[in-house]
Amino acid sequence: MARTLSHLSARLTPWLVPAAILLGWQAAASAGLVSTRFMPAPTDVIAAGIAAARSGELWTNLGVSFLRAATGFLIGGSIGFGLGLANGLSRLSERLTDTTLQMIRNIPHLSLIPLVILWFGIDEEAKLFLVAIGVFFPIYANTLHGIRSVDPQLIEMGRVYGMSSGTLFRRVILPGALPSVFVGLRYALGIMWLTLIVAETISASSGLGYMAMQAREFMLVDVVVLAIVIYAGLGKAADALTRVLERSFLAWNPAYRNI
Amino acid sequence: MLATTLSAHEDVKTAVRRAAPRAGAAPPEATRQAGEGVGVTLRGVSKSFDGHVVLSGLDLHIPAGQFVAVVGRSGCGKSTLLRLILGLEAPSDGRIAFESRAQRSPTKRIMFQEPRLLPWARVVDNVAVGLGEAGSRAAKRERALAVLAEVGLAEKVGNWPATLSGGQRQRVALARALVSRPGLLALDEPLGALDALTRIEMQAMIERIWRAQGFTAILVTHDVAEAAAMADRILVVEDGRVALDLKVDVPRPRRHGDPDLAALEGRILDHLLRDRPPA
Repeated sequence: MARTLSHLSARLTPWLVPAAILLGWQAAASAGLVSTRFMPAPTDVIAAGIAAARSGELWTNLGVSFLRAATGFLIGGSIGFGLGLANGLSRLSERLTDTTLQMIRNIPHLSLIPLVILWFGIDEEAKLFLVAIGVFFPIYANTLHGIRSVDPQLIEMGRVYGMSSGTLFRRVILPGALPSVFVGLRYALGIMWLTLIVAETISASSGLGYMAMQAREFMLVDVVVLAIVIYAGLGKAADALTRVLERSFLAWNPAYRNI
Repeated sequence: MLATTLSAHEDVKTAVRRAAPRAGAAPPEATRQAGEGVGVTLRGVSKSFDGHVVLSGLDLHIPAGQFVAVVGRSGCGKSTLLRLILGLEAPSDGRIAFESRAQRSPTKRIMFQEPRLLPWARVVDNVAVGLGEAGSRAAKRERALAVLAEVGLAEKVGNWPATLSGGQRQRVALARALVSRPGLLALDEPLGALDALTRIEMQAMIERIWRAQGFTAILVTHDVAEAAAMADRILVVEDGRVALDLKVDVPRPRRHGDPDLAALEGRILDHLLRDRPPA
């Protein structure tokens, strides 16, 4: 019983601060300390959420944004992972591409928005392109770093024990690079949302960012705040997903065992 | 960096094949009996790196099943000698030949100074690495379990290496080296990082398994007492040559603090320390 209680309190503790902020916010709004024209009360935001969910507008926009994020992530992430592997394993590939990639990396990808609008207009490609580029670099850099930092003594051991190149990759190099790949994954998920929201806010005709911009034009501040709260929730969900993956793939690593 | 080492390794592999021309039909592993050590003969073996001579004109015969310890100062070339015998490096000059009563090409295994276990593989899977890629998973697992029981780790087969003590990890590494029933076991200072008591236990365990299986053992060590306690024969390597070649005529099991061993140890230390200012 005591153990269940302490377990429960351990799970609840992280939510104390958000709950306190929410309560304080509600109290301030109800007491009239902040004008609801600029900052709606949490209850108003919830009401706006229910209304948007009822009309189906919320689900459509959420679905559109999610699909864009996932597609862009898959495209950029797989190219980044592939190039990271190639450049980590092959000197030639690294010589050929790494300098170019490092140069492109230093361009803030959001600065490409005007160019991307010229190229693709405000169609899907524009958003996918931006998300893919944003996601590419953290995954590329961390995969490359992960492969570089695999213990050379383990690689020598694998060779001495007669592993073929394929087995060596599967049993030594890839698992050794995985913790670093996961670091890249976390960064990439954050950048994925950031890029998508910015792109949707600037140029879109659907999606969460578009919903927020639309609401701003009609001064529907509760919907604007609703969109922001949803971003927070999505960010938390993405983070929770990577934690689950880390815990199952990196169970051998004492650093990940008790997160 | 990986790519370059990969191709370098290919060269080493061919060199091994040249050095060990015997590659007959291999009988199933399980039919191998104890007492199948591999004899090693070096003829005029030299090794230099970038013009710096590490070993020069080495002639050496290690009979099958012998336990040889190689001692010497840091940088005397003892580890290079081990790497040459294992085929990890190709000699600059000379030949290395192996003879084995078994029909198959002899397996040579090494135990490193560090355990070098795969942190992401459970203990039993780490041991199975020693069996190579051929064979069914179940059969490999069974043999790995048997060897783990032999080194006293039957309880730990499902553990991650991170949960083991240093001595236990080194026992897993020993099991991995022995699971393929090698004809030759090279030990590159495998006990250097262990505490004194664990080290003595490990020495006894390696000696016991060596007596049971009969492989040829080559132990490179800094520790002259360890060499005297375990080996049939001690080679003192100095300036790229064998400066002393001593037989250890003390019956086994040996007792720590045996006066004959202590005398031998003193003789080797005197040799290593003479004419040299203290470091």
